[in-house]
Amino acid sequence: MNEIVNGFFQAINLIVTLNPEVMEITLRTLEISLSSTFLGTLIAVPLGGLIYFRNFKGKRSVMNLIQTLYSLPTVLVGLLVFLLLSYQGPLGGLNLLFTPGGMIIGQTILILPIIIGFTITALKGVKGEIKDLSMSLGASEFQTIYTIMREAKYALLGAVILGFGRAISEVGVALMIGGNIRGFTRVITTTMSLETSKGNIELSIALGIILLTIALIINLLLNQIQEK
Amino acid sequence: MPLLEIKNLSKNYEDKPILENITLSIEKGTIMGIIGPTGCGKTTLLRIIDLLEHPSSGKILFDGLDTSKSKKDRMEIRRRIGMVFQNPVVFNGTVFDNIHYGLNIRGQDKKSSRHKILELLKSLGLEGYEDQDASTLSGGETQRISLARALITQPDILLLDEPTANLDPVSTEKIEAIIEDLHQKKQTTMIIATHNLMQGQRLSDEIAILNKKIHQIGKPEEIFRTPKNKFVADFVGMENVIRGKAKKADHDLTLINLGGIVIYSSTPLEGGVYASIRPEDITVSNMKVRTSALNEFKGTVREIKDIGTLINLKVDLGEIFTVYMTKKSFLDLKITIGSQVWLQFKASAVHVFK
Repeated sequence: MNEIVNGFFQAINLIVTLNPEVMEITLRTLEISLSSTFLGTLIAVPLGGLIYFRNFKGKRSVMNLIQTLYSLPTVLVGLLVFLLLSYQGPLGGLNLLFTPGGMIIGQTILILPIIIGFTITALKGVKGEIKDLSMSLGASEFQTIYTIMREAKYALLGAVILGFGRAISEVGVALMIGGNIRGFTRVITTTMSLETSKGNIELSIALGIILLTIALIINLLLNQIQEK
Repeated sequence: MPLLEIKNLSKNYEDKPILENITLSIEKGTIMGIIGPTGCGKTTLLRIIDLLEHPSSGKILFDGLDTSKSKKDRMEIRRRIGMVFQNPVVFNGTVFDNIHYGLNIRGQDKKSSRHKILELLKSLGLEGYEDQDASTLSGGETQRISLARALITQPDILLLDEPTANLDPVSTEKIEAIIEDLHQKKQTTMIIATHNLMQGQRLSDEIAILNKKIHQIGKPEEIFRTPKNKFVADFVGMENVIRGKAKKADHDLTLINLGGIVIYSSTPLEGGVYASIRPEDITVSNMKVRTSALNEFKGTVREIKDIGTLINLKVDLGEIFTVYMTKKSFLDLKITIGSQVWLQFKASAVHVFK
């Protein structure tokens, strides 16, 4: 018990003194997760829109698949991307294994389903009459889609934030693709897992608090948005 | 050339027919009322005219242009048509943003449109509303915003789907006044779909009675006086509609056997028909009188209803007839339930249809 209390106070100390290692890891984590969220959004929102606006055979199955992939195990994505990026893999020539770039690719894949799925849900939340209304007022197909997306902007932002939450808190991809290299690919979750097993409790707790704070901020943001 | 011509248009959803063989034409500057009960296909027809849906068969010509062309052509034509939906929705944003929408997608920025929008708001009695959040408006206000949103681009034709169905009487009156104003001052061509016969009659130059197919098109008074078939007769609230068998008689007259009684009419129709006599064309007296009316029957008063200035009687002649009389003559004749009275009406007052 004493150890935990001590660890906690030391962790607070690490945070308030802006310990360079803690800060560096936090910044890298944010950088990687924000990049994958940005990339994921760029792909997933238009893709979700396409799935929502187009009628095609097997649309239902596609939706089911997407929803199943919400709980895609991170280690599975890790394995998949590892196989893709390893020296013998199809993308081995890119030399992205054990780099932040590789981690971004892995996390992007990981969060695509959740952003696509919630994009579709967001668009479904827009009244069907909006489509008729904008067409009736003379909008082209593209303008109509843009209008519907704009009507759903807060829900879409929610989808993006959810994706970010998943990216920042996952450990499988970061560990398997990043390799947890100190000063290069080490992020909050991988550091916590390593340092805890080494008995370095205070660093883990400090990073845990930061991660939790980020999660809290995300939640507050989501709540704010959903109230609109 | 009519502004809008619809030729033999039909629409099915899967195998269910919604509209059958609709043919309509609308001249510039006129108001056409499309009137029919709920579920008669009014909304579908307006949506097809607004090019939001494709007909299953048939043609629509807008200003002589075939509307079945490419997506781009349809959009260009759609830009000349305005529509106000039955359940108006608003875009997120202010009233100004909502009205600006149509201009925005045509490439006109807010600044250059400002004067025009404020002017229009003023003319619709919505001065000062421009900065309000559109989602906070009442039903009547929302309906007027929808109208403004459709009008700002000065469409050649305005489609109104049940423009007042969900509104209170005051808001209804405002919308109707705006419609009349548009008609008189701007000669805006309009199609108004409504289930409200009185409103359709009040606002329209011509009305079409719709129930999957168009049962009758004509001037309102024509439809009220001479419905073409049983559906129209029932829909316009025609009273004394009785099924019978018509047979030619002498002097251009036709005898119609209504079961209980045989009446004279001047119809050329023969065989199974409906005969109807408007209550106001029937006179009531307490004795047989010598008039020019060929039809005179004795009956028993079954029901008496005071409807304000008039008394409404149900008289049993074998068939039940509804007649009206003034309070004065009602009192003079001392009519009570069970009284024997004579009803007279002219052969020409009998409206006959198949």
